[in-house]
Amino acid sequence: MSILEVKNLKVSYNTSPVLEDISFSLDKGDALAVIGPNGSGKTTLFKAILGAIPYEGEIMVGSGARIGYVPQKLDLERDLPITVREFLLLRRQSKTPDVHSPAEVLNLVGLKEDFLKKKLGDLSSGEFQRVLVAFALIDRPELLLFDEPTASVDIAGQETVYELLNRLQKTEGLTLLLISHELSVVYRYANKVLCLNHAQICFGVPYEVLTPEELAKLYGGGKFYQHEAH
Amino acid sequence: MPDLFSLQILIAGGLIGAAAGLLGSFALLRRMALVGDALSHVALPGIALALIFNLDPLLGAFVFLLLGTAGIWFIEHKTKLPVDTLVGIFFALALAIGALLASEEELLDALFGDITKLNQLEILSAVFISLAISLALILLSRRFTLTMISTDLARSTGLSPHRLEFVFLLIFALTVAVGIKFGGALLTGSLVVIPAATARNLTRSMNGYLALSVILGFASAVLGIFISVLYGFAPGPTFVLISGAIFFLSVFFRR
Repeated sequence: MSILEVKNLKVSYNTSPVLEDISFSLDKGDALAVIGPNGSGKTTLFKAILGAIPYEGEIMVGSGARIGYVPQKLDLERDLPITVREFLLLRRQSKTPDVHSPAEVLNLVGLKEDFLKKKLGDLSSGEFQRVLVAFALIDRPELLLFDEPTASVDIAGQETVYELLNRLQKTEGLTLLLISHELSVVYRYANKVLCLNHAQICFGVPYEVLTPEELAKLYGGGKFYQHEAH
Repeated sequence: MPDLFSLQILIAGGLIGAAAGLLGSFALLRRMALVGDALSHVALPGIALALIFNLDPLLGAFVFLLLGTAGIWFIEHKTKLPVDTLVGIFFALALAIGALLASEEELLDALFGDITKLNQLEILSAVFISLAISLALILLSRRFTLTMISTDLARSTGLSPHRLEFVFLLIFALTVAVGIKFGGALLTGSLVVIPAATARNLTRSMNGYLALSVILGFASAVLGIFISVLYGFAPGPTFVLISGAIFFLSVFFRR
C-alpha cells in the first residue's frame, strides 16, 4: 500500500517552473533518496509535500499519516532562551495521544536525558541536528522528510545521522525521504532514488537506474561518475 | 497612603505593562522590536482625527492601528520587503500626518501619554483589554514561539504561519492601543521592548523568559507610576528610565 503518491506535480515560482512532471510513489518502509544538482528543486519538492507552497498536480499522503520534517538548516539566534525540552514540546500541539515524551525521543536519536535542560543555542551542530530529528519524531510520524546539510555535521566516532535514520526506519517503521548530496549514502541507505533536475530524470532502485549515462544527464559531464569510480 | 483611584491607576498600569512585556517576549524572538514604535506612531493620526471629530481617542487609535497593521502585513507578503523597512516608512508617514492634524497641546499629550489622566471607564477597559491580551498570548504561546523561531518547522506541524503572524499583529495593535495612554506615541514601544530584552538577558528557558518579561513589565510600570505621582514626573518617561536602568544592569548578568 503506498503511503505517498505524487502525480504530475508541477511547482512554479512566478511563471518559471521549478518542478515539472514529477510522479512517483512510496510504500511503507521505503527509503527514498532525492538527488540532483543545487537548485534542482529538491527542497521545493519537500515543501510541496509539506503543503507549504502552492502546486499543481496531486500529492496524496496515506490517510492520517503524519509527516516529520528535518530542515537543512535553521538560523537560530544563539541567545534564544529556550531549552531542548521546551523546543521539543513546541511540536506537541496535535491531539494525538500516542506520542513520545521528550526524554524518550532524545533517547531515540542517541542523546542523553540531561540534554533536555540544555539551552538550544548551546548545542553543537551535530547535537542540534539530532534534536531537529527528535523534534520531527516526537509525535510519531509515518513519513520523515530529511534535508541533508551540505556539510557533514556528524560527530567523529559516533553513529552517523544516516545510521541513525536507518535504525529509526526499522524501529519506528518510518518511511524516509532524504535529500542527499552523496551518492554513497544513496547506495547504502536508500532502496529507491529520485533524480531531479527541475524535471524527473529517473526514479527506481539505485543500482538499476543510476547508470553513468543517467548521472551525466543529471549533473552534466562526467564529474560524478569519476567520483564513484574509486 | 494612596487613595482608591491611584490604586486603580497602578493596577491598570501594571497590567498594561505585563501584557506589553509578554507580547514583547514573542516580538523579540523575531526581531520585531521596532514594530511597536511604528504602530504607536500609526496611532497618532487616529488620535488626532478622533479629537477633531470629538470621538474617543482610543477608538481612533485602534482603527488606524488596524489599518496600519493590515498594511504592513499585506505589503510584507506582497513584496517580501523586510518588516523594519516598512515600519520605518509607516512610522514617518504617520508621524507627519499626526503632526499636521493635531494641535500643539494635544500633540504633546499624544506623544508622551499620561496614564494618571484616565477616567474610570478607561481604567476598566485598560484592565480588561490587558487581561484579554495576556490570556490570548498564553493560549497561543507554543504556536507563536514555533512560528517566530522557524516558519518552515511551523508549517511542517500543520500551522499556518501567515495567519498566525496576522493574529499576532492584531494582538500587537491592541496592545499598542491600550499602551498609548501610558507611554504615548513615542514611548509605547518601550513597554514592549525593554522588559522582554531584559528578561532575555537573564533567562535560559522559554518559561522563565515569558514569566520574567511579565514580572518586569508589571513591576517597572507600577514603580514608574508610583514614583511619577510621588514626585510629579510624567509616568511614561519615568517607566522608560526605570526599565532602561534595569536593562543596563541585566547586561552584566547575561546567561
